[in-house]
Amino acid sequence: MTKVKVVFFASLKESVKCDAYTLECDLPMSIAQLKTQLSSELENGQALLEQGIQSSVDFEFTRDSDQVTEAVQEVAFFPPVTGG
Amino acid sequence: MIKVQEDDFSVDALYQQLLKKNKTGAVAMFVGLVRQFAEDTPSTSKNQNEDCAFELEHYPGMTERNLQTIVDEANARWPLLEVVVVHRVGRLSIDDQIVFVGVSAGHRAEAFSACDFIMDYLKSRAAFWKKETQGSESKWVEANTKDEKSLERWS
Repeated sequence: MTKVKVVFFASLKESVKCDAYTLECDLPMSIAQLKTQLSSELENGQALLEQGIQSSVDFEFTRDSDQVTEAVQEVAFFPPVTGG
Repeated sequence: MIKVQEDDFSVDALYQQLLKKNKTGAVAMFVGLVRQFAEDTPSTSKNQNEDCAFELEHYPGMTERNLQTIVDEANARWPLLEVVVVHRVGRLSIDDQIVFVGVSAGHRAEAFSACDFIMDYLKSRAAFWKKETQGSESKWVEANTKDEKSLERWS
């Protein structure tokens, strides 16, 4: 088992009621798999599975099929961005 | 120069940073401001404007990297002299400045295009989130599909 730091932003952070969480999991796994495991561990975790939720690994945008490896420092989940 | 900051910015000072002696032929600048966002919901409150505020959240580390990626892409597409992007975070009120994008180049075409390109990508590819507050109510702004569609212009 590996510990992965996961952070949340904006409305998703409020939905899951935490801004950071340490997930213990077997790596490598895809973003989609990680999201599914997270959703079962977090309060109101189904918010993670809503359409449009985006992700990043070590500050780079990722897709559901991208792999999270043991070298990863930080995974993030957030709603679509609304800057500018 | 790329900056994410709480403080306001001076357009004059940023303009000066864009100038390159004997080289600059054109400077294009864009400033985004907080406008009345409840325009679609008629209100009877006379003080509606005073109650409106934005809270801008970002992802420290990622946001700066996103902006750098966008600026790098602009530099790869057009011959630019200087690019300045400043985006504010934290609490903002109506009429406050939110974002500055400035581009200097030899000629106007690339300055205009790069400024437009950077703003387009900043809207959809940089980790910022806006929350609107009006009186005691607040809600997160939802992403606009128009913004995502606008990126197709550059592909």
